[in-house]
Amino acid sequence: MSYAIALDRVSKSYRLWGRRSQFATLKSALLRRDLKLEPEATVPAVKEVSFAVDKGEAFGIVGRNGSGKSTLLKLISGILKPTSGRISVNGRVAALIELGAGFHPEITGRENVVINGIMLGLSRREIEARFDRIVDFAGIGEFIDQPVKTYSSGMYVRLGFAVAVHVDPDILLIDEVLSVGDEEFSAKCIAKIQEMKYRGVTLVFVTHQLDQVRNLCDRALWLDHGEAVQIGDPVRVVDAYLQQVAAPEARRDAAQPAAETVALPDEEERFGSGEVILKRVALVDNKGRELVALGAGSAVAIEIDFDVRVPQDDFVFGLGIYHADGTCVYGTNTDLEGFAPERLDAAGRVRFLMPSLDLVAGQYRVDAAVHTRNGRSFDYRRGVLRFVVGSRVHDTGVYRPKHTWQFEGGIAFKSADPRQNVPAPIAEAIESAKKKR
Amino acid sequence: MDELKTLYRYRQLIAALTARDLKARYRGSILGFFWSLANPLLLLGIYTLAFTKFFPSQVVRPYPLFLFTGILPWTFFAAAVLESTSSIAANAALIKKVMFPAEALPLVVVFSHLVHFALAIPVLLLALAIYVLLGQAAVSWTIVLVPVLMLFQTVFVAGIAMVISSAAVLLRDLRDIVSNLMTLGFFLTPIIYLIDRVDSRLWRALLRLNPMTPFVVAYQDVIFFGHLPGAADTFLIVAYSLVALGCGVLVFDRLRDTLAEAI
Repeated sequence: MSYAIALDRVSKSYRLWGRRSQFATLKSALLRRDLKLEPEATVPAVKEVSFAVDKGEAFGIVGRNGSGKSTLLKLISGILKPTSGRISVNGRVAALIELGAGFHPEITGRENVVINGIMLGLSRREIEARFDRIVDFAGIGEFIDQPVKTYSSGMYVRLGFAVAVHVDPDILLIDEVLSVGDEEFSAKCIAKIQEMKYRGVTLVFVTHQLDQVRNLCDRALWLDHGEAVQIGDPVRVVDAYLQQVAAPEARRDAAQPAAETVALPDEEERFGSGEVILKRVALVDNKGRELVALGAGSAVAIEIDFDVRVPQDDFVFGLGIYHADGTCVYGTNTDLEGFAPERLDAAGRVRFLMPSLDLVAGQYRVDAAVHTRNGRSFDYRRGVLRFVVGSRVHDTGVYRPKHTWQFEGGIAFKSADPRQNVPAPIAEAIESAKKKR
Repeated sequence: MDELKTLYRYRQLIAALTARDLKARYRGSILGFFWSLANPLLLLGIYTLAFTKFFPSQVVRPYPLFLFTGILPWTFFAAAVLESTSSIAANAALIKKVMFPAEALPLVVVFSHLVHFALAIPVLLLALAIYVLLGQAAVSWTIVLVPVLMLFQTVFVAGIAMVISSAAVLLRDLRDIVSNLMTLGFFLTPIIYLIDRVDSRLWRALLRLNPMTPFVVAYQDVIFFGHLPGAADTFLIVAYSLVALGCGVLVFDRLRDTLAEAI
């Protein structure tokens, strides 16, 4: 039994709770235990999901809102029971579904810590032994003897997290809680989780912060509409997920007919005489595969397929790349770069090659156009293409120049591997955890 | 049986939550626990006035003491059961977000009301002592049976609370149904009148179908009248307690898996 968690074809359907069905539900629950209701009264949340998490493994779950991630976590924790399938769990589980969920506002932090600890499965004595460490980690000082209702939301969450990580679980389930609290505490949480991982605690993560999945997890699961789409290497799973998330948006935008366009900044606008048509504008990698998401610094090209209805001798092809906030990142055209037009009389393709697209993580859109040199448009397509740039580094701005750091003199960093790109507090925590052992 | 083992495992949790409940309830209020006595004392005053001044014929003397003996166990029952209707919904966060034994919630309600009841007992004893000094009442050894009665009543109330609390999650109307039944139940329990003065054999039997009747009568027997409860009442107390507990465990067990979703 080397696994910590095993799910065998687990499904979960939620019942729809109508006013009229109340009594029927009560009756069927009492009489038949199994609670099978008519299929039209149920909503499937998780469908036939199977996977196993090894002891000591960090396992990430990604997916859109409503894809069943939290349900899956609640199933593992035992809060919910599966409609079908089997779940086996080896070891003490602590679930961080909502921090401080069990706190009572009227009593002091101290009393709440004790009760919360008992709820998470510790004995009173065990909690007392950990009490100082918990308060220390939460960093709330003398407030510990004040009623919890006087706490700021940050203190509340910090105390909740502190208790949960100090129960020494074998398996820690984390739902989206690392995104709460301030930067400093968030970093502290991640450091603590790193430390737990180092000590062999099995981690299951649900998060929208894909960097955390890439950085912390050994494997990842991509859940879509309750089904497991992909399980495996976190970087691959996250990339595949990003491709799919960005794709429908891009497709939807590209499919917008010109007549129905609205002047919203994000919506595609298209105008021009139609004598030359831009049939397709796509972002491709160096093997010609279409992309909607890419890593910073990737080699990519923008391909423009055009069709000519009326041959032209005065024409310019142009491109603009915009950040999602509307900032123009770059714009150019064939005229500006000195290509003098000669003939345009049949369908063809224009390729704009970028050996390294040095953009900061974010969402971008592309405008493409073909027009005469004095600006009369044949076909101008605004926002015809969208793409997402992902990055492990949380740098800011839009442009990331290729760079390295060099240090001389009285300066030193603990992290020797700059490619690791983990924010400094985490890197330090890993180092200190290693030293302790 | 497993159910009872689970409960034993969670005894610390139930104890801690009961303490929390009591602390939270009275923190910041000046009279604190005495508020839990306010309602029984008010009832006591009203009924004493009505039955000693307005229509005094039927009265058992000293009437206030008789009334007090019956009102306290009734209040324990009624308050605990009524509060249990919302015990799970009020702690939705625990059920939905934490691995939490849901059966602890109605039990915490029962135990915190049991504490109120237990704290009211000295007040009852004080009243008894005053009447003894006035020469209007006597104390008998049977009063030591009160804790035994409380134990059985707690088992009984816990069983009912488990049924009601879990069913109320699926059937919200239950709260209003229960609160109306309690008003009715108060008069169908021999609290303000003496069951032996009820004129018809049939009615006395029917009143004993109300499970609270044998409990209240037994309290009156051991505290007020100073003799052992009758065989029928003793049998009914044991039977009602065990049946209620059995139903509570069974119903709660069947509904448990639906609670996290239905709240």
